[in-house]
Amino acid sequence: MELLPQALMDGILLGGIYITIAIAFSLTYGVMHIIDFAVGEWIMFGAFAGFYLNKWTGLDPFLLLPVVFVIFGLIGCLIQPVIHRVLSGSKGNPLLMGLVFTFGLGLMFQGLAMTVFGFYSNSTPSMFSEGSFFFEKFGFSLTISTVRLAGLIYALAITMALHYLLKKTNFGLGVRALALNKDSAGLMGVNGKRTGALVYGLYVGVTAMTGVLIGCILSVSAGMGPQYTIFAFFVVVLAGMGYLAGVPWAALLLGMVQSIFLIYFDPGHTLLAVFAILYTILLISPKGLFGRGV
Amino acid sequence: MKRSLLFTLSLITTLMLATTVFAEEARNFFKVGVVIELSGDLATGGNVTKRGYDLWAQEVNAKGGIDIKGKKYQVKLFYADAQSNPSSGASAAERLITQEHVDFILGPYSSGVTMAVAPVVEKYKIPMITGSAESPLIWTNKFVYTFGTVPPVNFSGATPINTLASLNPAPKTAVILGSNDTFSKATAEAFKAAAEHAKIKVLKFNIVPAGQDLTPLLSAVRGLKPDLIAFGGHDEELIKMVKSLRQIDYTPKALLMHYGVTEPAFVNALGKDANQVFGASVWTANAKTSSKILWPNAASYAAASMKAFNTPADYTQAGSSAAGIAFQVALQKIGATPGMSEAQRTSLVKALEQVDIDTFYGKVKFATSGQYYHANVGMTPLTVQIQDGKTVIVGPANIKDAAPQYPMKAWKGR
Repeated sequence: MELLPQALMDGILLGGIYITIAIAFSLTYGVMHIIDFAVGEWIMFGAFAGFYLNKWTGLDPFLLLPVVFVIFGLIGCLIQPVIHRVLSGSKGNPLLMGLVFTFGLGLMFQGLAMTVFGFYSNSTPSMFSEGSFFFEKFGFSLTISTVRLAGLIYALAITMALHYLLKKTNFGLGVRALALNKDSAGLMGVNGKRTGALVYGLYVGVTAMTGVLIGCILSVSAGMGPQYTIFAFFVVVLAGMGYLAGVPWAALLLGMVQSIFLIYFDPGHTLLAVFAILYTILLISPKGLFGRGV
Repeated sequence: MKRSLLFTLSLITTLMLATTVFAEEARNFFKVGVVIELSGDLATGGNVTKRGYDLWAQEVNAKGGIDIKGKKYQVKLFYADAQSNPSSGASAAERLITQEHVDFILGPYSSGVTMAVAPVVEKYKIPMITGSAESPLIWTNKFVYTFGTVPPVNFSGATPINTLASLNPAPKTAVILGSNDTFSKATAEAFKAAAEHAKIKVLKFNIVPAGQDLTPLLSAVRGLKPDLIAFGGHDEELIKMVKSLRQIDYTPKALLMHYGVTEPAFVNALGKDANQVFGASVWTANAKTSSKILWPNAASYAAASMKAFNTPADYTQAGSSAAGIAFQVALQKIGATPGMSEAQRTSLVKALEQVDIDTFYGKVKFATSGQYYHANVGMTPLTVQIQDGKTVIVGPANIKDAAPQYPMKAWKGR
């Protein structure tokens, strides 16, 4: 019982990491209907960008986040037309083609990273990575790691920023219109190609920043991507495919289940518990936790 | 027209087949199959293992090849990626054997993949030595064609626990965790058995999902306040474990891990936080060994590795080079030339069973019966500790280079 506050806090902090992994992934599905299986590889590239930029400039990775966002945002904008071409083809099933295309892209990225960055694991040092807050009262104790707390704050800030962008700006209105009906949005003056490129750029930029964060909290390696792709997929499916507002709740639920299971039950079956909960929720509500998915 | 086309095709096929057969017969080099994890979760260990095999092949070829009855035969390595996946490893081995017709195989890095490849080499009667796999399960299966140069973890894992138990005051309680893969589980079990034997109370023993963030579990561990935390896992998991302990700010009196601590990446990634972590090993660059084959001692091998890869060698790399040496010695003993027959390969197994050699890596001598069947039991397991960023032998007492630093310095005071 004395571990309960710690279990809840660890769950929230773990959930924070999952929010950062899944939020932009959900956005790009909601708007562009791309299930990007290379999401883990964007995280990996972002993590390496943070690692090397920190090494070369000596600046803290948290200060480097905007730089990483701009670099990867541009890369995303440049790659999107290729994905758009695959998705808008008239032959075959474009959605399936998109899946296969991004899966292949992910594999290529992994191979490329292994060749360029080598096979060793690394870690990005940060001013936040060494500290923690400790509280002890009424027989309960609680430790909050500074770097994980910074990660949670980042996750909430990004969620709010994306929410603001979508709901309160003209750009967001265009994005939502595109998501609802591409043809009608085009007739109303929304430039589908440009908006699509910007959204994909935004997604790649945010995901790469998440990579920097994961490099500080956990580790950086060429093979790190696939496990994050799986978690991004879990969270987005649980939240409801493309339903952005559901992502934080789904991520927190996933983090909480994992934390409580690791502490109170058999740690060996944690992933089984996560799967079981995911399946149960999907059986009851196939459109995700809130029934609002696509 | 049709008939002439058919005739041309048959002629081409016959010529191609004849060329292949001719090429097989005329081969004047040993075809060595290498099944390793070049990609996937275990790519780090797989590539370290590859370095060991590569360095052996380079050195042998630089000396003109393996001397068989006065004639020298070069070795050529044929790689197949197991992708860190046992079933891919088994397919890769099958391809090397049936399509490349390799003479013998240098085996995978991980125990899981080795367990999948061993039945394949058994089926085709192709000898294999793994220069890395350490799970005891490989050897209790008693595969006739599979050998290993690194002793199993139940042979080596007790040593660091015994070193810790001999300290004053010795750790009284322990939490032992293992990642959910063949090697890591066996390591955790070996640590547990040794701790119980040394009268260290095991407060918690868990096998955990591979690669996951264990911070919540470590928060629970902190509540138990164990003197010793011992963890069986692979390189990246060890780095994550130290970072998690640092983030929740719990410093046990001793932190023990197995393979991965001696990898340069462990110190590079963790910096000062890598210091004072204990590990198990069978070889370091300071090991006092002497040999007449290829490298005269551990130091000269370490220097050769630095020259070739600009990275210090660890025991997995050294064990992998020693696997090549064991084959080399056994081939010389039976006088086998490239393109071996099944009878020659069976004789090679017999010759490997009789190998008893001193190498730069230490003594290589494979057990021929019992629970360690075909594992190398010639080595002395070592306790190592990272001290000022360097791997130092701290046990057993009679061969240590430095005293163990204990208890561990708190993370915040570093």
